Amino acid sequence: MSTESSSTVARVLKPTILILIAIVAISSRLFSIIRFESVIHEFDPWFNYRTTQHLVKNGFYDFWNWFDEKSWYPLGRVVGGTVYPGIMVTSALIHNVLHFFNFPVDIRNVCVFLAPMFSGLTAFSAYLLTKELKDSSAGLLAAAFLGVAPGYISRSVAGSYDNEGIAIFLLVFTFYLWIKAVKTGSAFFGLLTALFYFYMVSAWGGYVFITNLLPLHAFTLLLMGRYSNRLYVSYSTFCAVGTLLSMQIPFVGFQPTRTSEHMAALGVFGLLQLYAFAELVRGYIPPKQFRALLKGGIVAVAVIASIGLTILSFSGVIAPFTGRFYSLYDTGYAKIHIPIIASVSEHQPTAWTSFFFDLQMLIFLFPAGVYLCFKELKDEHVFIILYSVFASYFAGVMVRLMLTLTPVVCVSAAIAYSTLLDTYLETSEHVLASTKPAIAAAATSAPVVIEATTSDSKATGKKTAAKAAAAAAAAAKSADAEAKTHAKSAASSEKKRFPIFNLDSRLLVILQLTWFLFMFAWHCTYVTSGSYSSPSIVLASRQQDGSQMIIDDFREAYYWLRKNTKEDAKVMSWWDYGYQMAGMANVTTLVDNNTWNNTHIATVGKAMSTSEEVSYKVLRQHDVDYVLILFGGVIGYSGDDINKFLWMIRIAEGVYPNDVKETNFFTPRGEYKVDHDATKTMRESLMYKMSYYRFAELYGSGNAVDHVRNARMPAEGPTLSVLEEAYTTENWLVRIYKVKDLDILGRDLKDSTAFDKGRVRKISSLKKK
Amino acid sequence: MAVISRTLFLTLLLALVAFLSASSSSTSSLFAHAQPQNDNEALLQKKVARLEAKAVKNKGVIQLDSLAFEDVMAKPRNYSMVVLFTAISPEFNCVPCLNFDPEYKMVAAGWSKLANKSQLFFSILDFKAGQAIFQKFGMNSAPSVLYFPASSSISGDPSQDRYDFGKSGFQAEPFAAWLQARSGVRVPVQRPFDFMGLAVKVLGTFTAVFSVILFVRKGRKIFGSKYFWSTISMIIIFVMISGHMWNQIRNPPYSMPSQQGRSGFIASGFQNQFGLETQIIAVLYSLLTGAAIGLIAVVPRIENPVGQRATVWVCMGMFTLVFSILIQVFKLKNPGYPFTLMFR
Repeated sequence: MSTESSSTVARVLKPTILILIAIVAISSRLFSIIRFESVIHEFDPWFNYRTTQHLVKNGFYDFWNWFDEKSWYPLGRVVGGTVYPGIMVTSALIHNVLHFFNFPVDIRNVCVFLAPMFSGLTAFSAYLLTKELKDSSAGLLAAAFLGVAPGYISRSVAGSYDNEGIAIFLLVFTFYLWIKAVKTGSAFFGLLTALFYFYMVSAWGGYVFITNLLPLHAFTLLLMGRYSNRLYVSYSTFCAVGTLLSMQIPFVGFQPTRTSEHMAALGVFGLLQLYAFAELVRGYIPPKQFRALLKGGIVAVAVIASIGLTILSFSGVIAPFTGRFYSLYDTGYAKIHIPIIASVSEHQPTAWTSFFFDLQMLIFLFPAGVYLCFKELKDEHVFIILYSVFASYFAGVMVRLMLTLTPVVCVSAAIAYSTLLDTYLETSEHVLASTKPAIAAAATSAPVVIEATTSDSKATGKKTAAKAAAAAAAAAKSADAEAKTHAKSAASSEKKRFPIFNLDSRLLVILQLTWFLFMFAWHCTYVTSGSYSSPSIVLASRQQDGSQMIIDDFREAYYWLRKNTKEDAKVMSWWDYGYQMAGMANVTTLVDNNTWNNTHIATVGKAMSTSEEVSYKVLRQHDVDYVLILFGGVIGYSGDDINKFLWMIRIAEGVYPNDVKETNFFTPRGEYKVDHDATKTMRESLMYKMSYYRFAELYGSGNAVDHVRNARMPAEGPTLSVLEEAYTTENWLVRIYKVKDLDILGRDLKDSTAFDKGRVRKISSLKKK
Repeated sequence: MAVISRTLFLTLLLALVAFLSASSSSTSSLFAHAQPQNDNEALLQKKVARLEAKAVKNKGVIQLDSLAFEDVMAKPRNYSMVVLFTAISPEFNCVPCLNFDPEYKMVAAGWSKLANKSQLFFSILDFKAGQAIFQKFGMNSAPSVLYFPASSSISGDPSQDRYDFGKSGFQAEPFAAWLQARSGVRVPVQRPFDFMGLAVKVLGTFTAVFSVILFVRKGRKIFGSKYFWSTISMIIIFVMISGHMWNQIRNPPYSMPSQQGRSGFIASGFQNQFGLETQIIAVLYSLLTGAAIGLIAVVPRIENPVGQRATVWVCMGMFTLVFSILIQVFKLKNPGYPFTLMFR
């Protein structure tokens, strides 16, 4: 094959491979839809979905000014000013465009498929980014890696309609534009960076990562003595436009000028201006005088800046670090000061297994890629190095930030992997030999991929991903090897490099690496299918005969609420279920997953963890009509409210230390028990009573066993007097209680219940004494 | 007759005397209801004096064993007790015990320096010395701190006042605050002057100044050197991806004694790990990365075909072997993981 024809082949191959990668990325995120149905997952997505519906129905301005009186009863919530609207606006836009062209797509389907669609775009931007760092073959590899890496899939499967779904695309693409801007020094790309930064700010709170990483890059380049007009132009454009734009989001507001998280960006901006000014002056003044001027100038600027900052921060114009952000630095901080942050599982630190689980072989190819960046060390490689170091720190502190690490791991592992392939495939005759099978592989993988999107078999998906990844690697390699060879020969003129002499060495490395790619693809499919594709509102379990049982209690309960309660019924539950209730049951909630008011949450915690008399007052004060709880004791669902109860108590104790005491819920041996050993406070708490009310009746006498906590329950269950059972779902997973009205005869509810049960009042009052 | 009556009278008298003398012991106790009060008080005073002496001798902390604990806790008691149940001995490998020990002693020392202290004693009961008491209280974890107010008896354990480490942490300050809520006396926590800290600070300043000087003089050589920065970056990355931050936050034990065919340095459970474990993982990762870098950067520099072939085989062999080991270790943590490389 001649050089020309192979470059033509490359030109055709590259887009084909990219499209295939996008298809693989999308189809591997569809497990949950094939297994269950097209449904919104988890908790936060339900809020996003609800607001998107509002946006589509009532238009943008109404959405912007929306005051939601159905949440945080009786406080309400200003939705327009407290959300990152990026994801809602994106899907509303897609919805409207599709409708403009007369595709009557339901907004729910737009929301469900948004994250997978954007994952295809993410893969493409990983290609662009890596292409700037090495070459397009590495770019294709990076795209394939990022397309299927579980670390990213975990937050972007179909139905997980959350900010991260589009934010990772924006993150990678903004970084690509930034590198392009620094490389070319064009204000155009700087402006594009700022625009996409704005999009990112509107979409995810993680934009702070960009806000700090880009200035850090600029600052490091300054320290390395790599100041250039390119840097000046690109950074100044980005910072000026980006900061102004980001302030247009009401939720962000004036933060960029006030909080310390944003200070780095402004500081580096100022520094860059001073530096540029000094450079300008240097051109007009003799060196000796310039030196004196510089020294004086540095001292003066440092003094003024430090005085100014001190005054501003003491006078309160500049806020100190916000709690959520601060917990990234001092890891013990959150545990002591903000239990509500510590209680969220995604804010836990990351064990090494999570790194391996989410990234498999990429995790150790990643440092090799960083090493290669050090070898090259152009401006853009400095960026990747900084990104790697900081993202790996943050990912270590918080499981959730694994998401920001994954792109750089994929990029830098792709650089390492493709350099390996370059080294062991390079010679012209080898290129020719490997092109044919590569094309063949790519060609055969195409129909398989399409098959996989329609078929629901797990095995096909697995195979597809494996094949496509391998094909992409091989084809990408061969397509670009030509260009590589030229580059290599240029490089070898500097340092003495030799080709790989023996065929067996080449074969060994190439075959082994290909095998690793297969393993990687299998691993990714296994992890995606097994761990990250559960919608969590519909559960699946295997019965003893191996058949699948679908547990749909949540939707059952929410639907019951929707159909059987008044329009304005207030339902109290722990904050985890607030968004789902608002979205699915359309009822008024007291607290939800937007945990902005700790006191209100603590009030709910207090109502749950105190005795009936105390909590009835709280319930009445907040007009609560129904109380909803989760109880997993029957089917062994471990994420239920009794297991979350300790957090409720802890949060409640933080605000009401006199009413709730955590120690009273522990047995003298310091254990958390629900059976015979349970403490009196525990047995009298509303949560305990609601959970185990009539539980013992389900089993024979004295045989009641809580399957989550493996506890044998007392034969006589708790009694309720201020609540009455309203509804319990099929598997007892959700229990709804109605709050009783005040007694019409003005009696104590406890007495009236006792009376209704046929007991004379005397007995009950005697019992009290 | 008279004789009989006399003897009768005498016997009666004798009997009375005998009765009186016999019951004298009981009467005397009845009698001296005030007397033993004084006795007890004296006893108490003695006990308190003894405790005070012990406390003074040992900077405010009384070391207890099972017997001494029973003795100190015995009922006539007009003083409150704070007891730290701990396990300091190295074989228990109780990291939090070791962490809390100096903090506890610091609060005790602060207390003993107070002028207007009420009757409160700090004591430590080590597991080695007081196993029986640990059992009696059903303690199966250490450290725990219990507070016994003056009136309480030791048998009333169900509602014992316990310091919550989980919530308040192992620092002296929250502990002192907890104590203040009970005793009503504010204990000033004076951290002893930290010579180590000062030394570190001084050394740090010197290093900083020195590095600035170095930077000015030979900055280009050291700080401009790629190798310096690449080493630092790689170390940070390896430390982070092997889960070090988790250790930093959760403070797991370094390793466990191995039991039942389960090695003691790999923790069971997916979300759990030991200190040593992360180090092993970091080594495995760096071997893998090293092999990859060797294949990329070292092999093409070797001119001799035989040597080059050998290097390739060694690097690739190591890569595959270590990867297999890594997967095997991962399978220990996640038994359902279906894939293997070399080992079944």
